[in-house]
Amino acid sequence: MSQPSSPAAISCKGVWQVFGADAPDQLKRALAETGNDARAAARLLRERGLVPAVQDVTFDVREGEVFVIMGLSGSGKSTLIRTISRLAEGTAGSILIHGEDILTASKQRLIELRRNKLGMVFQHFGLFPHMTVADNVGFPLKMQGLNRPDRRKRAQEMLELVGLAGREDAFPRELSGGQRQRVGIARALAVNPDLLFLDEPYSALDPLIRRQLQDEFLKLQAGLQKTSVFITHDITEALKLADRIAIMRDGVVVQIGTPDEIIVNPVDDYVREFTRDVPKGRYSHVSAMMNMPETLPKMPDDPKIEEDMTIDDALASCMALYQPVPVWGRDGKMAGIVHPSQLAGALQVERT
Amino acid sequence: MIEISATGAVGLASGSSGTGMRRLNGLTPGVRVAFLCVLVGAACLLLAPSQAWIKTWPQALTLPATAWIGSGLTAAFEFLKPAARLAAKLLEYPMAGANRLLVGAPYALTIGVLAALGWHIGGRRMLALVLAGLGFILASGYWIASMNTLALVVVSVPLALALGGLIGVFAYEFLSFRRTVETVLDIMQTVPTFAYLTPLLLLFGFGPVVGLIASVIYAAPPMARNVLLGLQRVEPDIREAAIMNGATRIQQLVLVEIPSATQQIMVGVNQTIMAALSMVIIAAVIGGFNDIGWEVLLTMRKAAFGQSLIAGVVIVIFAVLADRMSSGLAKESKRHSWRITVAILLTGIIVAALQGSLLPAANDFAMFKGATSVIDRYLGAFTAANGALLEGIKNTTMFFVLLPLRIGLDEAVLPFTWGFQWTNGISIAVFGITSVAALVLGMRNRAVAGLSLLVATGILVTGIANLPWPFVLVALGGLGWLAGGPKLSAFAVLMVSVVLLMGLWEPALLSLYLCAASVLICVVVGGAIGLACAVSENAWRVMRPVCDFLQTIPLFVFLIPVLMFFQIGEFSAFLAICAYAIVPMIRYTQHGLTSTPEELIEAAVSSGANEWQVMREVRIPYSAPTILLGLNQTILYAFSMLVIAALIGTTDLGQQIYLALGQGDVGLGVAAGASMAILALVADRLIQGFAARQRHALGL
Repeated sequence: MSQPSSPAAISCKGVWQVFGADAPDQLKRALAETGNDARAAARLLRERGLVPAVQDVTFDVREGEVFVIMGLSGSGKSTLIRTISRLAEGTAGSILIHGEDILTASKQRLIELRRNKLGMVFQHFGLFPHMTVADNVGFPLKMQGLNRPDRRKRAQEMLELVGLAGREDAFPRELSGGQRQRVGIARALAVNPDLLFLDEPYSALDPLIRRQLQDEFLKLQAGLQKTSVFITHDITEALKLADRIAIMRDGVVVQIGTPDEIIVNPVDDYVREFTRDVPKGRYSHVSAMMNMPETLPKMPDDPKIEEDMTIDDALASCMALYQPVPVWGRDGKMAGIVHPSQLAGALQVERT
Repeated sequence: MIEISATGAVGLASGSSGTGMRRLNGLTPGVRVAFLCVLVGAACLLLAPSQAWIKTWPQALTLPATAWIGSGLTAAFEFLKPAARLAAKLLEYPMAGANRLLVGAPYALTIGVLAALGWHIGGRRMLALVLAGLGFILASGYWIASMNTLALVVVSVPLALALGGLIGVFAYEFLSFRRTVETVLDIMQTVPTFAYLTPLLLLFGFGPVVGLIASVIYAAPPMARNVLLGLQRVEPDIREAAIMNGATRIQQLVLVEIPSATQQIMVGVNQTIMAALSMVIIAAVIGGFNDIGWEVLLTMRKAAFGQSLIAGVVIVIFAVLADRMSSGLAKESKRHSWRITVAILLTGIIVAALQGSLLPAANDFAMFKGATSVIDRYLGAFTAANGALLEGIKNTTMFFVLLPLRIGLDEAVLPFTWGFQWTNGISIAVFGITSVAALVLGMRNRAVAGLSLLVATGILVTGIANLPWPFVLVALGGLGWLAGGPKLSAFAVLMVSVVLLMGLWEPALLSLYLCAASVLICVVVGGAIGLACAVSENAWRVMRPVCDFLQTIPLFVFLIPVLMFFQIGEFSAFLAICAYAIVPMIRYTQHGLTSTPEELIEAAVSSGANEWQVMREVRIPYSAPTILLGLNQTILYAFSMLVIAALIGTTDLGQQIYLALGQGDVGLGVAAGASMAILALVADRLIQGFAARQRHALGL
């Protein structure tokens, strides 16, 4: 879980990405005409034949957290990650990476940043077909100027990390989809970057392999604690991996929150629709349900509910109880109370 | 004009179905264009006897364009000449070097090196192919001539690859440059081969260096095209991965994008090698160089067909070896044992060392001397025995197909050939009957078909070479309108007007006629073969290598067999064009008909369609865009062969280009070359337009 106090690794403020002729001027004019109303300006731009793919997006990604950007295809999530990594030139706004504005960085500085600080994983893997697995993983190191034996050594370490030891001299075409993406991840991690961008890394894989790689990612992340921006269109993937989720729709971020907040307090029907079929008990936690009244009611039983238990787990141990129960924090002190019926109620699938 | 009216019918039909919903005054654009053509055609027919200007473009309005181009280019060349001559001088060094190396080296060594290369690329099969091919060349006594040709190819290919590669990379890097490059490449594809030679001859002076430069210019575009295509097709994820790994632009290009595009680039290498070889051989017409192309030309002129057949086979061997070896390089395959490669090389060296004392000199081989005289004798006997038959085939085709197409039924139908004289009365009767048929069709809601029928009849009666120019302009403009709207219409009319203004209208119509006649045959015969190949796997198994083979051999070689049987003349030219241009029609028809998605066929079958209904209702409509592209390729092929056919007696633009080459008339050469390119370009754009429409209508 993220700590709210840690400083922002990435800080996006008022980011716009507009496609079309003369986009920056058009955007300025549209904003001026609508008195800086982003939605109205976007409408105006669309009427004028431009495409506002990302509109006035503002958020911070904290150090060490997995920040998932979720949305359907065409919602602007891929464009947004390309703007942050500056694969596409943003139209307006500022994007600070560790306090440095990447939108105004020079070409040289950008190359330096990419060589040392950033790693990226692609939906279709982006492996170089003419290089062996080891050469692929070693490519960013080659860009850093490392010599061949050192590259080889580091590539071997990385491949071991993702469970591909022994396949160093295979070519990408000889690997399965899941193996290819492991190579992609190994390559992104090779320079030990501060930031990891993952653009729908598992979307091209079978469901089973996808789940396996998600679990591996969680394990890796538990050890490495990389600040990651993760793009997906799959809500269960988002809930499973994210510390926080930003939900995008038509180029706008409609809600940012922890998985619990997204499930328990969807900000509008669009978000609710997303989470409707999600098994809520598995992805939301007791902490999102509990409260701390001024005066404690009578609690005859203590089924040892902890605040970071999933609701499913908590219910399993207090399903038969009819009285409120205490919830214990990580520090061993009581963090709040919750009524079992509250937990059961949260599982109700909403009727529409 | 037949080929245009044939596509016209397709286009008109598609035009009417595409816009049938929003009829204006009850008339679709297709009907209106067809109606306009009929009106203008009828007016021309009626007025032609009294108004001479309709039939022949007035001399007064002809610009002395050839003279202008001639003097303009000559002046420019005077300015460029010193630099060009210097370049020619410089190029002579590598040429002389390559020549000395290849001609001077013992043939055993050359064969050893090529055999080792063949083994390395393609193992046992390629090795056998190389040994058999080179053995034949050596035995034929054409070794020295072949090495002279090879020396030119060896110098021109790297130059063409470098030039084409650079152009491709620059076109990829700079978007503004790309548009220009694509247009220029499109145009260069349509410029006939001989047209390059005249200006180059003037600029660089007489000699083999002209052949070299022409082949570089001719062979670079395929490389440029494939490099550009390959780079454009690199997956975006791969490109972005290189960026995100911190590669500089140069590193991205050199370390990632170009290697990722290798396969497509190797396709370009293969095409470039083939084009260079083909051009080097064609360049023999300027002579002065004892190469294999010259041998063919010489023996052909002497009517020593046995000899020229052997020389032709040598060229074919060259082409096949070059093609198989370079396409073998493009394929990812296992490399073959180094030890054997070295062993083959060593054998070559050892035999070469002993060659001086043991083996005869390359020129002393003439194993086929006996064979050639036998061939000549048999050929003589065959033509003597079957003279009547051959003559019959030739005359029937000439009198009943080619001549009517060329000068029209009204002039071609004579008592001497057809048994009766065409009269005005017959014309009126034919037009009357056709009009009634058109009316009936029109009443059955098939106005376009009816009007097209009228137009086709008019063209057939008048003859393509006698078509009045106002009608041609209106018809092309109308077709352009249907195929791609006002822009394409204006393009077609303007471009063809240029030919008119330059005073090359008559040879242009002759080119059009010869092209139309061959394309017509190719469409009918090639389409039928393609259909057969689509229906029967076995037929395709037989036809496929034939198609491959026909596409590999240089244009020049097609002339030999037709000359052997039918002598010099239009009929031989016609046959050679058909033989070359039929291949794309077969290929695209087969491909189009067999690439219908399985789902569509299953849907039709489950609706109860029988095999023929599936073909007619699903496969053919679905493959129409592909077949149209095949037609397009066939037309372009026909145009490129048309120029080569000038060598054996045609009277069209190709002949003008060839004449200009002989006389060093750069103005005529360029003007005629441009006219030919214009015809090809207009045909290309029109058919591409219709194909795009069809694809759009199918939602592809």
